Amino acid sequence: MSNNIKYWKGEEELNRDASFIAAQKNEFNEALPLEEVLSEDGFELNSNRRDFLKYFGFSVTAVTLAACYKTKVRYAVPYLVKPEDITPGVANYFRSTCGGCSVSCGIEVKVREGRPIKVDGNPDSVISNGGLCASGQASILSLYDTERLANPLSKGAEVTDWTKMDADIVAELKAIQTAGGKIALVSGSINSPSTLKAIESFKTVYPTTEHVSYDAVSYNGMLNANLADFGKRALPRYNFEKAKTVVSFGADFLGTWLSPVEFTKGYTKHRIPTVEGGMSIHIQFESSLSMTGTNADYRFPMQSSRELAYVTTLYNAIARASGAKEVAVPTNSELAGNSIEKAAKALLAQKGSSIVISGSNNVEVQKVINATNALLNNYGSTIDMVNSSNQFKGDDTAMNNTLNGLKNGSISAVIFYNANPVFNHNKEWSVAISKAKLSVSFSQSKDETAAVCGYVCPDNHYLESWSDAEPVNGVFHFTQPTISNVFNTRQAQESLLSWANALPSTDGDTLKAKGILSQKPHAAAFYLFIKNNWMAKFGSDEAFNKALEMGIYQEAPLSSVSAYAGNLASVAEAAMKSSKSTGIDLVLYQSVGMRDGASGNNPWLYELPDSVSKVCWDNYVALPKSLAEKLNIAEDDTVNIEVNGIKLNNVPALIQPGQANNTVSLAVGFGRTHAGKVGGSVEKGFKSVGVNAFNFVNPTDRNYVIGDVKISKGDETYHLAQTQTHHSIEGRDIVRESTFAAWQKNPKAGNDKAKTHVYTIWEKRDYRKDGSPNHLWAMAIDLNACTGCGSCVVSCSIENNVPVVGRDEIRLRREMHWIRIDRYYSFANTHKDQFEGANYITREKQIAEVDSQDKGEFAHWENVNVIHQPMMCQHCAAAPCESVCPVLATTHSSEGLNQMTYNRCIGTKYCGNNCPYKVRRFNWFRYNDNDAFDFHFNNPLGKMVINPDVTVRTRGVMEKCSFCVQRIQEGKLKAKRDGKSPNEVEVKTACQKACPSNAIVFGDLHNENSEVSKLYKNERGFGVLEELNVQSSVMYMTKIRNTENI
Amino acid sequence: MIHDSLIRERLVTGDKTAADVTRDITRPILNQPTKSWKIGFTLSLIFLGIFGISLFNTIWTGIGVWNINKTVMWGWDITNFVFWVGIGHAGTLISAVLLLFRQKWRMSINRSAEAMTIFAVVCAAMFPVFHMGRVWVGYWALPLPNAFGSLWVNFNSPLLWDVFAISTYFSVSLLFWYIGLIPDIATIRDKVKTKTAKFWYGFFSMGWTGSTRTWARYELISLILAGLSTPLVLSVHTIVSTDFATSIVPGWHTTIFPPYFVAGAIFSGFGMVATLLIVARKVMNYENYITIGHLEAMTKIIMVTGSIVGIAYLTEFFIAWYSGVEYEQYAFINRATGPYWWAYWSMMSCNLIAPQVFWFKWARTTPWFIFIMSIVVNVGMWFERFVIIVTSLHRDYLPSSWVMYSGSLTEIGLFLGTFGIFFTCFFLFAKYMPVINMAEVKTILRNRE
Repeated sequence: MSNNIKYWKGEEELNRDASFIAAQKNEFNEALPLEEVLSEDGFELNSNRRDFLKYFGFSVTAVTLAACYKTKVRYAVPYLVKPEDITPGVANYFRSTCGGCSVSCGIEVKVREGRPIKVDGNPDSVISNGGLCASGQASILSLYDTERLANPLSKGAEVTDWTKMDADIVAELKAIQTAGGKIALVSGSINSPSTLKAIESFKTVYPTTEHVSYDAVSYNGMLNANLADFGKRALPRYNFEKAKTVVSFGADFLGTWLSPVEFTKGYTKHRIPTVEGGMSIHIQFESSLSMTGTNADYRFPMQSSRELAYVTTLYNAIARASGAKEVAVPTNSELAGNSIEKAAKALLAQKGSSIVISGSNNVEVQKVINATNALLNNYGSTIDMVNSSNQFKGDDTAMNNTLNGLKNGSISAVIFYNANPVFNHNKEWSVAISKAKLSVSFSQSKDETAAVCGYVCPDNHYLESWSDAEPVNGVFHFTQPTISNVFNTRQAQESLLSWANALPSTDGDTLKAKGILSQKPHAAAFYLFIKNNWMAKFGSDEAFNKALEMGIYQEAPLSSVSAYAGNLASVAEAAMKSSKSTGIDLVLYQSVGMRDGASGNNPWLYELPDSVSKVCWDNYVALPKSLAEKLNIAEDDTVNIEVNGIKLNNVPALIQPGQANNTVSLAVGFGRTHAGKVGGSVEKGFKSVGVNAFNFVNPTDRNYVIGDVKISKGDETYHLAQTQTHHSIEGRDIVRESTFAAWQKNPKAGNDKAKTHVYTIWEKRDYRKDGSPNHLWAMAIDLNACTGCGSCVVSCSIENNVPVVGRDEIRLRREMHWIRIDRYYSFANTHKDQFEGANYITREKQIAEVDSQDKGEFAHWENVNVIHQPMMCQHCAAAPCESVCPVLATTHSSEGLNQMTYNRCIGTKYCGNNCPYKVRRFNWFRYNDNDAFDFHFNNPLGKMVINPDVTVRTRGVMEKCSFCVQRIQEGKLKAKRDGKSPNEVEVKTACQKACPSNAIVFGDLHNENSEVSKLYKNERGFGVLEELNVQSSVMYMTKIRNTENI
Repeated sequence: MIHDSLIRERLVTGDKTAADVTRDITRPILNQPTKSWKIGFTLSLIFLGIFGISLFNTIWTGIGVWNINKTVMWGWDITNFVFWVGIGHAGTLISAVLLLFRQKWRMSINRSAEAMTIFAVVCAAMFPVFHMGRVWVGYWALPLPNAFGSLWVNFNSPLLWDVFAISTYFSVSLLFWYIGLIPDIATIRDKVKTKTAKFWYGFFSMGWTGSTRTWARYELISLILAGLSTPLVLSVHTIVSTDFATSIVPGWHTTIFPPYFVAGAIFSGFGMVATLLIVARKVMNYENYITIGHLEAMTKIIMVTGSIVGIAYLTEFFIAWYSGVEYEQYAFINRATGPYWWAYWSMMSCNLIAPQVFWFKWARTTPWFIFIMSIVVNVGMWFERFVIIVTSLHRDYLPSSWVMYSGSLTEIGLFLGTFGIFFTCFFLFAKYMPVINMAEVKTILRNRE
């Protein structure tokens, strides 16, 4: 039955009007409320339910697909319990002692979130005076070196458990002790009172122990001479700040000799000419052109094997004037131009305020030097033999006895602390060590010596250690840890104490009960040991903590005079012998960065150009031009060199201006075979950097001047990596210099502003009006103070995360350093009738002309003047780089800084081309996380040293000196926080802070009283390339040489 | 009334009729590629491959695969850029300037010269783009609105002017070339057999009917575009020269650069046109269209512009001495006598001395000799850019930063590779497009008074 009843929804359906029929065709003819939901402001979707499903479906699928991609998980772990004294983003500073070498400079360590990231000099330290050398600067990277031993080694196998190590070693020590066997503890020079005490504790338990110390580069001759002349086997403390005349025979006292940072500070005091103080005279006699030699007013080339004759001549000249007895010298003991006589005159003019030193390790030479200084009344004034130095006190005789003892079996056990004799003393050590029943090394890495030792008990890095130091009698520095141990290592002192069972208990409860510690934290055993030692002197925790905080404690210096009681009876004969030397001398020296090679795995030091030759990543035989011509050696050639049957083939050769004729030089400290991936490792298959020149040293006398070497041209060629390959200034007005006499008459001498014609239609920018009224940052660099040591270069690299690029990239001239030290030679004009009678010639063509005239002697190559000029971004007010960047990636700040916006840079490199100072550096590759640059930026440990305040640049962008803008910002914020006025903002750039000679001054020109403002008014001030009117923000001070006063 | 001039030499020889022209010029398009075309094209592809590999190496590893360094930050890259842009000058000059001057001999060579221009500009553009350290953000050099607020490009920078100059030149040249092609494409459209060919030629002929009205418009637009392009001939290389002239590098900072660069560009452009046409007329049997008369006219331009360039070289030297600026003086002495003396003297002998042979009629009318000379000209012009860029940079203000520079394999590969791009494009053009403007050539079959 059909149902005919009709239901209708409304009138429209009943009437079936057209609009209703049309609407009915659409199934969902009403808009869903969804539309209102979605159509909020700015989000208009005119959608119905189907659309919604489409969007929804798509979005869900898209999100699902996107979520399928596995992204890298990054952890940012906040402090669960925040340490009281750590604020993330704010650095803490700790005073400590540099462990880079045994000089023990006082340092200040910057620690960010528990990571030490920068080391600078402790301004309160009388040794470092706030400066630090390149080696010291770089030493922080050794902390994050992947080549450090992560665990102790027992017979080559890693052991994680120190108790087991201790048990094994103690058992062996006890066995040797019972059998009456001798134990030798071989170390570098130790000047830490507590360490010496720890060794004494060890000795009381093992009485057959003999402690022998030696230095990688020996001062034995000097020590023995002092023993003979003063009855005291010690090096004196030199007070260069009191010396008005300095005569040095081959001692590189500004670069590597004894305590260079301290000496630089003192030396500089009289190098900047003043009306009241005048200016000191520095005379240098040497074979190789050392960094110190480059700073001398007079530098006379000498053949070092004849040094004894020369120093005796000097002594005689002074003796003549002082009425003392002369020593017979062979004829021909004066140098060209009576230069020794002249030096004597200069010394006599400053009796009591002069210094004569020699870098020789020959005891006779040092005796004559002592006698000379005694005649000049220098002891007690410039040379302090009472408050003497403890920095180097190695005993070569004892060392050789130990070696022989090991070889003949009379010594059964040997322990090495801070010593690597297989590398730097004698190769025979490796055989000798294998003969010992027990051999232990405390080396931090598996170095040449540790590799042949039975046990290696890795020492802490000095930044993880507690210690103290007494570099000079009465001056104490303290070492405190700035990070907990990175690896499973233990301080050597603790190892010794624990084997002697003399380790203080570190149990918190006991300590608290005894009142040693107020709280119950973790305490290092050696800390307790040191504290225990010092409490006798300090009496209270406060005093001890204060000393730790300051990093230095000084006792009043003793004032008694140590009398000279030497005689020169043995000298005459030896002098006669030395003058007979006719062959070619080999002079071994330390390079300013690498020193003795202890930091042989540190890429910063390899990348640091040599102060003089600007060679990186290699050592080389430096030849005088005359010899190079004779042997037909040109650039990129190699030489074979033979000394007493030891031969090194195909050593890279470098023709070194200033190298004395008949001498060649080679740096020690290179050629490491067990340093690691950077310095070379036989085990891991990394090639050594350079050759080991220590092999040439005769272990008996350890003389670094070796006569009669055989030298010939090598078969191979080798291209040295140099950061500077053009060495003459081409007569350009880039560096201004004058003489002291001229300066006295006219303080603007040599700084002729008329030389620069600056015509401009533009008004000079007024930063007070257009920019910031508060600050205008600027720098002043004193060319008289800069010694060229390169400390600033390393410091800058650390502060600003400058990548290491390696030898091949430097060959391609792509070093990344933001600051460099330009070094120019000028050659003596041996033909005064030519070249307008100039004393020195600086043009390539003129030099070549004299070369062709002076064949044979090449006296102009021997006698060169050198100048060092630090060069970094000049932050020009009218910067050529800024106008050419298409994307405004480099711009000018309102405070006078030339800024680089890395993120905006697209890498056209036009700015680099247009920079007249060539200080812009391009990231040719990705230098971080790139195994092609296998240094420290490609591993998590090495990256710990990265400064979190500075961006690590990506590939393809330009970078350059920022005037340490992060430090400026920090200084400004600090001043603001403390409610200080803008004039009180304290900023020191990284280069300035590192500089041992205060050559670099940075500050605010809007502050009338700032040091830089005063220097800007100095008559010596000039801008490099001023005539370009780029208006640089770096002012250089004319170099003044004291060359008219002898 | 049309009649032959009794005095003027004919621009097209061989008594060609209009039908001959169509037949001759569409022959390569309508027939299978010849053997010589196949060999040439394969070689071009090989070079294109070299370009691909070199470019991949550059982008993947970094600009460090080149040998440029802290002092010489532009080397082969920008040398090649200026070299190719220079070559790209002849086309527009021939089509625009000579059109305005009613130089009818241009008609049989303007098409290929314009094509050459476009391909050369494409090659040139490779270098400024890929010399960027971060090419993936290269578009930041365009004044694009962005989300960074007031972040904008630097209108002071000549590199930005380059962006505008080159892109304008490229687009106008392309347009001019294409407009000129339309009647000829229509001719081909009517002749091809396959469907695809019919479609594509039909598409690109834009419905050309050949009516008087379309011809009238065609003439008008050609004139307007010629008017627009003429200043571009001068502006492009002027702006390229400001890349150097506005800097402060001794040897770059020279006000003579704009005219000197433009003259050099025309010089090298005509050199390249001569190289291509001498080969093309031989291989494709176009001796009657591209006559000795054409070659002679071009050699005259080469000689004149070469001499202008030569005078510019000498003027630079004089001004360097006259300025009294020691850096400037050294830069020029160093060019001639420094470590890159060979580059300088290659430049001098190829650009200034060599073209002087065109004073002799024999030299102007002997195709094989002109061919050799045209190559010499371009070798010289490449060296000119190398001398300007590298020898100026390698020894600038501070001797401490003086360096030597020589191109790496990748840099050489990129340069050779651009010839791959250029010739690949050119061979494709010769196969698929009429190399000679048929429509225009038909108007000059008889010398009209």
